[in-house]
Amino acid sequence: MKWIAAALLALAAGICLAQARQPAVQQPGADAHLSRGAQLMHDQLFDAAAGEFEKALALHPADPRAHFQYAVCLLSLGRNDEARREFEKVQKLAGESRYVTYYLGRIDLLSNDYASAIQRFRSLAENPPYPDTAFYLGVAYVSSGDGNDGTKWLERAAKLQPGDYRVHYRLARAYSSAGREQDASREYSLYNKLLNQHKSTETEVRACADALRTQPISAAAQEVCQRMFDPNDPEKLTLLGQLYGDAGAYEKALDPLTRAVQLDPNSYEAWHNLGLTYFRLQRYKEARAPLEKATALRPEAYGSVVILGATLYMLGDDEAALPVLEHAHRLNPGDAQTTAVLEKLRAEHAKK
Amino acid sequence: MNRRQFVAALAAGAAGAGVLRAQQQLGGMASRGVRPQPRGKPSGLPFHARFTDVAAHAGLRAPVIYGPPDRMDYILESMGCGVAFLDYDNDGWLDIFLLSGTRREGPVAGATNRLYKNNRDGTFTDVTAKAGLVRQGWAFGVTVGDYNNDGFEDLFITGWPQNILYRNNGNGTFTDVTEAAGLLHAGNRWGTGCTWVDYDRDGRLDLFVSNYLVFDFDKIPPTGKSSSCNYKGVPVNCGPRGLVPERPMLYHNNGDGTFTDVTARSGIGAVTPAYGLTAVAADLDGDGWQEIYVACDSTPSQLFHHRENGTFEEVALESGLAVNEDGREQAGMGIAIGDFDTDGSLDVLKTHFAEDTSALYRNTGHLEFDDVTLRSGLGVETRYVSWGDGIVDLDNDGLPDIFWVTGSTFPELERTHPEIPHKTPRVLFRNLGGGKFEELLDGAGPAIAEAHASRGVAFGDFDNDGDLDILIMNINEPPSLLRNDLSGAGHWLKVKLVGTRSNTSAIGAVVTVTYGGKRQAQAVMASSGYLSSSDRRLHFGLGAAATADIEIVWPNGARESLKAVRTDQLVTVKEGAGIVGQERFGR
Repeated sequence: MKWIAAALLALAAGICLAQARQPAVQQPGADAHLSRGAQLMHDQLFDAAAGEFEKALALHPADPRAHFQYAVCLLSLGRNDEARREFEKVQKLAGESRYVTYYLGRIDLLSNDYASAIQRFRSLAENPPYPDTAFYLGVAYVSSGDGNDGTKWLERAAKLQPGDYRVHYRLARAYSSAGREQDASREYSLYNKLLNQHKSTETEVRACADALRTQPISAAAQEVCQRMFDPNDPEKLTLLGQLYGDAGAYEKALDPLTRAVQLDPNSYEAWHNLGLTYFRLQRYKEARAPLEKATALRPEAYGSVVILGATLYMLGDDEAALPVLEHAHRLNPGDAQTTAVLEKLRAEHAKK
Repeated sequence: MNRRQFVAALAAGAAGAGVLRAQQQLGGMASRGVRPQPRGKPSGLPFHARFTDVAAHAGLRAPVIYGPPDRMDYILESMGCGVAFLDYDNDGWLDIFLLSGTRREGPVAGATNRLYKNNRDGTFTDVTAKAGLVRQGWAFGVTVGDYNNDGFEDLFITGWPQNILYRNNGNGTFTDVTEAAGLLHAGNRWGTGCTWVDYDRDGRLDLFVSNYLVFDFDKIPPTGKSSSCNYKGVPVNCGPRGLVPERPMLYHNNGDGTFTDVTARSGIGAVTPAYGLTAVAADLDGDGWQEIYVACDSTPSQLFHHRENGTFEEVALESGLAVNEDGREQAGMGIAIGDFDTDGSLDVLKTHFAEDTSALYRNTGHLEFDDVTLRSGLGVETRYVSWGDGIVDLDNDGLPDIFWVTGSTFPELERTHPEIPHKTPRVLFRNLGGGKFEELLDGAGPAIAEAHASRGVAFGDFDNDGDLDILIMNINEPPSLLRNDLSGAGHWLKVKLVGTRSNTSAIGAVVTVTYGGKRQAQAVMASSGYLSSSDRRLHFGLGAAATADIEIVWPNGARESLKAVRTDQLVTVKEGAGIVGQERFGR
């Protein structure tokens, strides 16, 4: 999702051009559908998300962001041909985009069109949109029978994604096929180590969730959950913070989430969860900055936007709260509480 | 609404952001959540095989009892069992052996393993009682082979809590010799895959058994009694993840009707425990010694390479057969060995759980395999839990096709998730050549689309008409017998091997047939598909070729060549004596 958000921000430049050529159109409903679709995508409810994107597109058929998100959603659903058509529409509306090229390369790879996949991924080599671009280029080369180039790009991918066991497994296989047994053995070891780490994280998450479900906020549950604590792994820290937060152990959630945002300042999840935790603790001053970070990273994330609006409102900064809540309302016009507060704020604003 | 009310309402409904949903939805089995590849345009090429289920007409009407009819409370009840095509009376016509389960609540009238004798007119007679094979219990796998080299095929059956060895007496009856043979194991075990294999090339069939997991009805919670056992939010039976995996076993044939457990001595026992299912043995690297490959459920699959000194090393990871191309374990169920690209080396197909592809591995030599699932076009099918499989030329065009059966393990699911039915159709991919396959959703007869909860599958020519028919186990239903009514002009050749210095069943031999510019290898195996055993007579579709050359590598490593053999016949080759029998079948 982080990557998709980055792509959307990048696409915005193209959108400006496209919009400049069109009369300004007010479409509050489209934003709401996009936001809802993004949330459903995040929850891996792809069919429902596709429905939201279709509604957004029905309201604003020329919005490249909607086409892009819909295309990614279709790809997640395995509707690759439709996804390709949507990505091509994005190109028509917003011009060439390396994000779109990346996804078209992924679709080529899935369709066994290795030559096209290689061409697209190669064109991204200097300025890859996502860290795994080199990995897919390596896979495309290996699949096409070019083991040498495949190995070269997989080696680059291993440097870019040293913690990804998939990369090390593919590289080990490539070395093995080339008879480079010593290199293969080294990569198999790395792969095994990383895979075991991945599996132990899965086990720890399940154990922590179970412990918090049966004995929320108990010392015993915290002992189980602290096994997840890895001061150098932002993803695990975010998971731990979220598990604590979901169980109501807000104070316990703060430390891992604070560490997570320091380690990975581009993590929407970490910023959102940290802001939400402060919000739940009614520490609104401290909630503001993380939520502002989260909404900057994902402006369409209704959950973050509305909490930021509420935080500003609680801080008494109604001037700042009003546009944020207006945005939240556009993202989710059905939220009665936000609507009620907005009406109040608008009325007060009008009085001034 | 004041500020506090607004905040309270928001705080109650606010959700954290993260990847917990995916983490927490993991069920008990390895499923990758894979989306299917896009389907290409249909080739439009004719497919000459048409399958019709003739089981009822053939007399196979008794249901195979396996757990309760409408639910599967325990994983033991969900795994089903294998089937076998064999010629137990050496009359040249394939007979049928069907395994059976039971119900935890108590014995079910009529539930038993069943032997059906081929009446040579398309029908079968149940001879179970006459053969001494009546037995009700939890049977899983079957391997067919002549372990005592008396010329008659014997049966080894895996089960919970014990396995069984039936010696064929040569007079239409069998005797349970498990204890006398030294094959009764201590305690309860869940034996699943099994295969005869002459691992030390002494001319006698040894026995490999894979075990699934430690099972006890009293210790494993049934469906609905453990919150951690759910799939897509629906309570289901527990496992395999979370349950204790097992190690396989190897028994050496002493040549006097007894076996010695050599699990530890051979190195087989040193392997990491796994949820072992189907086990097959074949010489995959052409060094004259058989490897043993085990499909493991939700754990890396295992490949045992023989060191040529009576010991094995496990090399699945290095060979590319342990995990998928992203390095993750899959829910291995069934295994097929065949030569899909007709390059003269044996390739591997392994079936998996739903929302995952089956895996097709191309043999690139030196015990290295390349995962070509997506490249071959098999990635279009991810909908079903997949079980028994085969790489078999169903239309005699000279290009081996791919077939597997399917069926869910969670019948409860379809009540709330109608998109995940319990009974699902068969899957058939026709070989287009060039390493590409095309799924035939229709056009291969009515039996392909018929939905069942199937498990074991065996391939063989039960009506001796020169094509391959298919026998399928269906949970709590009668089996399916898919008769192949083949049209078209494709030629074929069947090769039956009789060992003399090697074991009489010739298990472990590899036959390579050269025809029309192609070289196709097949292995004589005692186990294949899912816990099943197929026709020992190797069937080669040959397309337009009128003659073929045959090369045989016998289990003891000896080689034999036969030139310009006429097609459309069964040839029987005796080790060291060449062709000793020829039989032309008619349609």
